[in-house]
Amino acid sequence: MFTLNINGAEHNVDVDADTPLLWVLRDELALTGTKFGCGLGLCGACSVLLNGKAMRSCVVPVSAVAGQAVVTIEGLSKDKSHPVQQAWIAESVPQCGYCQSGMILATVALLEDKPNPTDAEIDLAVTNICRCGTYTRVRRAIHRAARMQGPGAPKPEKV
Amino acid sequence: MAHITRREFVNAAAATVGGLALSLELPAQEAARLPGSPHPPRTPSAFLQIGEDDGITIITPAVEMGQGGHTALPMIIMEELGGSWDRLGVADAPAAAIYNNPLFGLQATVGSFSVRGWYTELRRIGAAGRIMLLQAAAHTWKVSANECTIDSSLVLHAPSGRKCSFGSVARLAASMPIPQDPPLKTVAQYTVIGSHQPRVDIPDKVDGSAKFGIDVSLPDMLYATVKTSPTFGGKLKSFDDSECRGIPAFRATVPLDDGVIVVASSYWQARKALDRVRVEYDPGPLAELDSAKVSQQLRAGFDEPGVVARNDGDVEAALASAAKRVEATYEVPYLAHACMEPMNCTARVTDEGCDVWCGTQNPQAAQAAAAKVLGVPPARVKVHVQYLGGGFGRRGEADFVAQAVTAAKALNGKPVKLIWSREEDIQHDFYRPAAAIRFRGGLDAAGKLVALECKVVTASAPNFGRPGGPPFFTEAVADANYQIPNFRVTGLNKDLGVRFGFWRSVNHSHNPFMFEGFIDELARSAGRDPYEFRRAMLQHDREGASRQLAVLDLMAEKANWKHPPPGHSFGIAAFGAFGSFIGTIVEVSVQGKVVTVHRVVQAIDCGVAVHPDNIRAQLEGGMVYGLTAVLRGEITLKNGAVTQTNFNNYPVLALPEMPKVESYIVPSTAAPGGVGEPGTGPIAPSLANAIYAATGTRVRSLPLSRNSFSYKAVRT
Repeated sequence: MFTLNINGAEHNVDVDADTPLLWVLRDELALTGTKFGCGLGLCGACSVLLNGKAMRSCVVPVSAVAGQAVVTIEGLSKDKSHPVQQAWIAESVPQCGYCQSGMILATVALLEDKPNPTDAEIDLAVTNICRCGTYTRVRRAIHRAARMQGPGAPKPEKV
Repeated sequence: MAHITRREFVNAAAATVGGLALSLELPAQEAARLPGSPHPPRTPSAFLQIGEDDGITIITPAVEMGQGGHTALPMIIMEELGGSWDRLGVADAPAAAIYNNPLFGLQATVGSFSVRGWYTELRRIGAAGRIMLLQAAAHTWKVSANECTIDSSLVLHAPSGRKCSFGSVARLAASMPIPQDPPLKTVAQYTVIGSHQPRVDIPDKVDGSAKFGIDVSLPDMLYATVKTSPTFGGKLKSFDDSECRGIPAFRATVPLDDGVIVVASSYWQARKALDRVRVEYDPGPLAELDSAKVSQQLRAGFDEPGVVARNDGDVEAALASAAKRVEATYEVPYLAHACMEPMNCTARVTDEGCDVWCGTQNPQAAQAAAAKVLGVPPARVKVHVQYLGGGFGRRGEADFVAQAVTAAKALNGKPVKLIWSREEDIQHDFYRPAAAIRFRGGLDAAGKLVALECKVVTASAPNFGRPGGPPFFTEAVADANYQIPNFRVTGLNKDLGVRFGFWRSVNHSHNPFMFEGFIDELARSAGRDPYEFRRAMLQHDREGASRQLAVLDLMAEKANWKHPPPGHSFGIAAFGAFGSFIGTIVEVSVQGKVVTVHRVVQAIDCGVAVHPDNIRAQLEGGMVYGLTAVLRGEITLKNGAVTQTNFNNYPVLALPEMPKVESYIVPSTAAPGGVGEPGTGPIAPSLANAIYAATGTRVRSLPLSRNSFSYKAVRT
């Protein structure tokens, strides 16, 4: 049994210690916004925030994250109001959308660290794969979100 | 916006929506069989439902895989209907012949057929709905329908100042006769088509609430995963799952002809159990096949007879008398689709029938695959279409559906969700076929192309969609718009036993690399500017020539073709594809073997541009799909099996590698062409041609990594 802190709430899950956090989120907690893409931490579709940092949940066993703060795409806002979500809508970023939860969370972590990132900083931080090829709009939306979160911008509602 | 949850909507609608939907639908099977009718007659209710709450539901025959069909098709109906966009909900059509695409007869979201196939039909449906609403309101007010107008989901009667909502007259409208030939707007009258509408699927894709096939969850659901023979054509010989017996979550091993499915109470447990199953395969007849043999077989085909796809003039005589002859062979490898969402399907089999939940580009193929496994009529199978995490042609197949149904059949009515590993996905795809073309060209003394002979050899469906026509896989060669007086194209299909299928842009994903590459060689041999050389061959009066010329000219103007920045070089390519005309100019600089892409300029003439912002998104995305293939895309074979396994050895373009791209749309009032497929093709020839311009090295095979080139993009 492991006690997890997901999106600010505690959950007890009875799974094998080696179960990747990804499958606990999806199959035990019905948080299906976190996606399975490769199982090797290569693609980023499974990205979540662990203590505020982007982390690929398909290669992290549940036993390693017990008690630590995990935020999934569902925990970003109640109403799509997080600046990164708003920027994503404004720039019409998603196509199929499957990789976008991971893209958005990688961006949230980046902006937490670097509120006004350069393109080079974006390149280093957002290494998620998108087969639809939304990269131009992803970059544009990251810059837009940075502006929205900048000095004077309204603060997002915390969940 | 109400993006109505799509599952079960259509069947439920007749019972719950007290509006325009009622009792208008012609039974689908009957409609399909009407003799002498090219398409089943389509009634508004199968596509358009208006509730008494004013909600407008549009049932789209195109599934949503990111290409924007859930927005573009409703835009076409709403243009004529006059409904308010914020009352719109979208539902996926169930598997039924009434949703067969008018242009090619299948209910499949493939081949960039959705908008171009449905453009006229959906306008007629919207217009019919509009007239029925007008008549219902006029009847209620006892006025002439001619005095009534529609604006934003309201019917207005100006002389009396009365107005009513769509919902208030929807029920009465449903009883009005369906206009068979409603007048349609002209292009100049459009206010919705050609505008920017927010894509209806986007909001649910930023908070994790969008439901893909892999997200389906049902009470008592079990989880499954699969492994099948690594070699093509291999069969299951035996398996031993005794080591799984100790796993409490383990439920069953279900044998397939070519592998095993393991079922457990969670996906992770199913995966762990599968690792413990010992499987023996009969490797089958292809256990010796490797990439070198594929290449040899393709090239051997150059001297074998084929099917003549085009034969203008006398190519041999013209080659014999040409002032200059040029010959070259080109080749491309197999490619995997690698949709971000691995193949998956959920199935439940009961005495009553079968339910299937999946992202599919072809609901009727999913239905048929399930019915075949169960030995029941297709009508006993209900397909619940979900969002697709990428399609690109892979989800037009239904192999994963058959597997899920096979597992569910063995599990006594419990729903089973089958999810492939990424490794299974990469190694058991329906691959873009490897292909090769041998070209022989002849130039006259003035440098004009007077003879061109092309031998196309590939592993592909020989005549898909074109009974009696030129071989399908000679597309983008035999249908070239260039004026070439002596022009012969021969196609040879060599089925090497490797499973092949439709990959984004299909033949246009690779034939333009070879054909437009060789055209570039001819231009250089003639000492001509590659842009001018192409222009000169498009000065004739076929519609395709003038439209392709306009694309070339627009790109050249935007890229400033005549004046590349110092140290930079351009490459160009353009062609017709999927009813559109498309081209790309790539600006590069090359230091040693490092190719830097500074800028990609794309242009398309897709006829009436229904949803311009989405068209640009599709051009960008299509280019990225093509760029991955150019730079490093290859599926190689060894001992009859695919060598690649995951994104580490089948790497795809990542964000830092995205070049600067500009996409332009040629204004047009022609009928719409495709936009999802065409964008993938031009990047390969234009990049290879740019590398030649910069270095004098001609790239005749892909990927570039095989030619020891590396790549970087810059954004400034």
